[in-house]
Amino acid sequence: MKKLAISQALAALASARVLECDHASRGFHLSVAVAPLELPAAAKILDQQGFFIEAITGVDWLGEQAAPGPTVADQAEHQPPLPSEDSFEVVYDFNHFAKLCRVALRTRMPRSRPEIPTISAIYPGANWHERETHDFFGIIFSDHPDLSPLLLPEDADFHPLCKDYKP
Amino acid sequence: MVTANAHLPIVHFSSLDKLLNLGRANSLWPLTFGLACCAIEMMATGVARFDLDRFGMGVFRPAPKQSDVMIVAGTISKKMAPGIRTLYEQMPHPKWVIALGNCAIAGGPFVFAGQYGIVEGADKIMPVDIYIPGCPPRPEALVEGLLLLEEKLTGSRRWPRVNPE
Amino acid sequence: MSDLAVDPSCETFVLNMGPQHPATHGALRIKLVLDGEYIVEAEPVLGYIHRMHEKMGENRSYLAFMPNTGRLDYLSALSYNHGYVSVVERAAGIAIPERAEYLRVITVELNRISSHLLWLGAFVLDLGGFTPLLYTMDDREQLLDLLESVTGSRLTYCYFRFGGLYNDVDDNFGPGARAFIKRMRRRLPMYHKLISKNVIFRQRLEGIAPVSAEMCRKYGATGPVARGSGIAYDVRKHEPYSVYPEFNFDIPVYEQGDSMARYLIRMDEIEQSLRIVEQGLDKLPPGPIMAVKVPKIIKPPKGDYYMAVEAARGSFGIRLVSDGSATPYRLKLRSPCLSNLSLFGEAARGLLLPDAVAFFGSLDLVIPDIDR
Repeated sequence: MKKLAISQALAALASARVLECDHASRGFHLSVAVAPLELPAAAKILDQQGFFIEAITGVDWLGEQAAPGPTVADQAEHQPPLPSEDSFEVVYDFNHFAKLCRVALRTRMPRSRPEIPTISAIYPGANWHERETHDFFGIIFSDHPDLSPLLLPEDADFHPLCKDYKP
Repeated sequence: MVTANAHLPIVHFSSLDKLLNLGRANSLWPLTFGLACCAIEMMATGVARFDLDRFGMGVFRPAPKQSDVMIVAGTISKKMAPGIRTLYEQMPHPKWVIALGNCAIAGGPFVFAGQYGIVEGADKIMPVDIYIPGCPPRPEALVEGLLLLEEKLTGSRRWPRVNPE
Repeated sequence: MSDLAVDPSCETFVLNMGPQHPATHGALRIKLVLDGEYIVEAEPVLGYIHRMHEKMGENRSYLAFMPNTGRLDYLSALSYNHGYVSVVERAAGIAIPERAEYLRVITVELNRISSHLLWLGAFVLDLGGFTPLLYTMDDREQLLDLLESVTGSRLTYCYFRFGGLYNDVDDNFGPGARAFIKRMRRRLPMYHKLISKNVIFRQRLEGIAPVSAEMCRKYGATGPVARGSGIAYDVRKHEPYSVYPEFNFDIPVYEQGDSMARYLIRMDEIEQSLRIVEQGLDKLPPGPIMAVKVPKIIKPPKGDYYMAVEAARGSFGIRLVSDGSATPYRLKLRSPCLSNLSLFGEAARGLLLPDAVAFFGSLDLVIPDIDR
C-alpha cells in the first residue's frame, strides 16, 4: 500500500528512477535514484507521507571510471546517466513508523564538485547526519545551517573516509 | 614510571612521610571519569559485588581537585586528549594515574595503519603508574591494580596476594 | 516553562557541561546558553570518543570487524553483534540453524535486561538517589555470570558467528536463566515500590520534557524514546527478523512523551524480555549451532544491503556496500543514540537545568555509540 503510493509519488519527479527491491535479500523495498537538485523535492514527498529519516550514508566511488569493478551491478540500469567522472554517492534511508516500507533514496555527484542541497530544513534530524557525511567525505550540503565538524576535532580539515585519504 | 617520585619534597621526614603515605594509600579517591567500555567495569567495581569501599577507594569524586588517582578508563581520542591533560593538571599533588584497559595502555583494538583519531596510550600525554590490561579488564583486575598502587606507595602489601591456579 | 527562557533581552551566559561531567555518562559535552537556571539553547558537541569504527570496517575482513560491534554500544553488545551478523548473512545468503536463532534471541534479550538494569541504576543516580544502583547492579551481576558462562566475556561480547554461534550453551544455562527470571520477577515489584512510587522521583519526571510523536519522526528517534511518545515502533514486531515472530510479547507504549513515560517503557520492557527468554527456553530446539556450509572467507555479491535490529536504545541499522571482495567497501553504522540525542537541542529549550539532566538521563545514551 504505502509502497505503491510512495513509489508513484516519487516517480513523478523528472529525474527519479524507482526500482523495487526484494526486502528479504536486500533489506529495503524501494531504491530511488534522483538528481541532486531534486533531492529536497523527494524529501518533501517522503515527509508528507509520514516517513522518518533513519540514516544518511556517503559512499566514495573512486576509481569507478577506470575500472568499473566496484559499481553495484543493478544500479547501473536505474541510475540517471552517470557523470563521466568518479563520483560520490549519498544514500538516504527512510522508513515508516506505521507501515513497513524502507526507501533508499540515492543521489550522485562528481567528486570534483561535491555539492548537493541540504534536506535539514525538511527533516531537522538530517542536520547531524549531513554534518557527519561532510566530516567523512567533504561533501558540501548547500544552505546547511552549520557544517562544522561533528565527530572530528573542531579544526579538522581532512575527510578520512575518502578512498584516497592518507593520514 | 617516575611520577610519584618526581614531586617529592626536598626535605624528608622519614617516619612522617611513611605515616602520610599510609594514610594516602588507604584513602585513594579516584576521579569519576569514564570514557568508554572500561568505565562500566569501573562502575561495577565500585558497587554491590566488588565493593571498592572495602579498600577505602570507593569515594569517586566528580571534581579533579578532590581526587588523588585518575583512572583513565577508555580510548583517548585526539579531540579528548587536551581535556584529559587539563584534568590531570588540575589534580593536586601527590597524584597517580592508572591506565585501565588496552585502549588506555596502547590504543587497544583501535590501532591500525592509517588511524586518524586516537592517541595510542595514556602515557603519550601524561605519566602512568599502573597499567591494567584487558578489553575491558575485569573488576578483580582493577582491584588488583589499585592494591598494586597501594603497594607502590607504602612499600608493603596490605592484602594477601592471590596466586593464579 | 518560563517566559524568561525565550526573552532575548535578558542576560544570558554560556555553560559547558562536560566532556568530564558525571551526568553525561561519558565523554559528551553540552554547550548550554543559560538564562539563570533556564536553558535558552542547548547544543551537544560530539566526537570526544570517535573511534573510527566505519573506517576500520573498510580495512579488515568481515570476521575481523566482529569485535568492533561489541564496542559500539557496549551495554547491549549482543544486539549489535546480531545486527552485523544478520546483514552479512543476508548479503552472503547464509541460512542459520534454528537452535542458533533461538539462542541468539535468548542472549540478546538477557543482554537487553542487563542494559536496562544498568540504565536504571545510573538514571536514578543522576537524580540523586544512590541506593537503587546497588540493587540493580547486584541483579546485573547475576545476569553477567550467566552470559559470561556462555559468551566468555562480561561486557563486550563477540558471541555470534556468520552462520551460527561461537559455542553452545552448557547444561547449567537453562536452570540458571530460569532462576534469574524468577528472581527478577520478585525484584521488579520492589523496584516499582522503591522508585516508581517515590514522590520526589515522580515530581522530577512527570510532565518534564515532553517529546511529541511528530518530533520523533522529524528527528528519526526510535526505541524507548519513540515508544514513550505514543509511537508503537519496534523493529522486532515491525520488521520481524530472526525467530521473533515465534514469540508472544507486547510492545509497551505510553502516550505522555515525558521523562516518566520513557522510564516506564524500559521497566515494562524488562518484563517483556523476561517473557521472551522464558518462551525461548521452553521452545529451544536441539540441533547444530552452526550452519554446515559457511565459506571461510566471506565474499558477499556486489550490491548494498541494509539490516535493522532493535537494540536496547532503539533501531540499530547497518548499511553494507559490498564490491564482491573479502573486505566491506563501505560499512555505515546507524546509531540509535545519535538520532535520539539530536532532538535534545529542541526539546530541552526552556527547561530548568536540573530537569535537563533528568531528561538527558531518560534518553539513555551510550556516547561511544553516538561518536562511533
